[in-house]
Amino acid sequence: MSQTVTAAANGLASCHLCLKLAPKELHHCPCCGEALHVRKADSLQRTFALLVTASVLYIPANLLPIMITEQFGQPMESTILGGVVLLIKLGSVPIAAIIFIASVMVPLGKMLALYYLCWTLNRGTPGNERQRTIAYRMTELIGKWSMVDVFVVSILVALIHLTGLLVIMPGGAAMAFAGVVIVTIIAAESFDPRIMWDQREAQHE
Amino acid sequence: MLFNVSSLQDGQTARCARCGQFLTRYRSDGLERALAYNIAALVALAVACSFPFMQFKASGFENLMTLPQTALELYRNGMPFLALLVAAFIILIPTAVLILQLILVSSLLRGSRSEWPRRLGRLMYTLEAWSMVDVFLIGVIVSLVKIAHMATVVLGISFWAYAGFTILFVLAISNLDRFQCWRQIEALSRTGEHTA
Repeated sequence: MSQTVTAAANGLASCHLCLKLAPKELHHCPCCGEALHVRKADSLQRTFALLVTASVLYIPANLLPIMITEQFGQPMESTILGGVVLLIKLGSVPIAAIIFIASVMVPLGKMLALYYLCWTLNRGTPGNERQRTIAYRMTELIGKWSMVDVFVVSILVALIHLTGLLVIMPGGAAMAFAGVVIVTIIAAESFDPRIMWDQREAQHE
Repeated sequence: MLFNVSSLQDGQTARCARCGQFLTRYRSDGLERALAYNIAALVALAVACSFPFMQFKASGFENLMTLPQTALELYRNGMPFLALLVAAFIILIPTAVLILQLILVSSLLRGSRSEWPRRLGRLMYTLEAWSMVDVFLIGVIVSLVKIAHMATVVLGISFWAYAGFTILFVLAISNLDRFQCWRQIEALSRTGEHTA
């Protein structure tokens, strides 16, 4: 692995949109016209700022009700965690597990993984780049899957609408949670895993 | 890291030697495959939008739901922004991506030398990351189990059409390799310059 040739060392940059290799002096991709960077611009700062935003949004997403069930005119609010607890009480443990994984573990794990990557990158200590790159690819891959809960709410709201008998309404947490998902997707997108490999190369020289 | 991928044979895949990430896959009939899946997906989506999605029955009452209603009901409940997001993720963006891909692939197959493939490609690949058809399908299944104990739920034609659409959509996107597609766009515009 010591004999690797990188595009950056040869004055070339890869276009993030069409994957074209072009001289970095061009500033715009000659193939598709996108802005050209050797590495994503201000990757670390942007990722970190978006992560903080997502963390702040995560608070109302868990405290506010995600769904309001109105049975015979009596409203009952339920939060994300409350819904999981209710499902376990009702005996549908597998579905409780899916909801718990998709709406609690995935967003939390994603934010923690990105915090960890930002932290190690900022300290500049090389080591297990391959594992860290795989961790990054995972956060990138699972990103959109936490939208499941928002979709479940929108389906239930549309489907269960028997006025006076049983009505389900969306709660404020749905919006906040959608915000968390979208902001973390953008945060993962602004992160550039190649910076880890740059640091390793710098250490070897 | 730099790689030479020009020697790839039909059906072969290139991966990064450092992190193992998928790079590109060369298929001689990739365009035709993408086109076929694309048209099939568009038909399935049209069916999914025009028939009832699910039916909910409880103590003598019943309620019918269509796919666009998932977004419309959020709007009626005072959440216009969330309604827009849901509509965009499950219907608007996937439709836009499919239509863009349809025009792009057919103009590549015809060997069109205009500026269009380049513009369409840019827009398509920017939008592609934001389509969540597969996530929505899991959402449907989760909500089915959630309300199964409350009432009877009947699945409509539209549900099966959407399930088919999800599979066809993923196939249409994965058969158009990003790297190969762009090199083809580039090759076409280069021959255009020579003849001009």
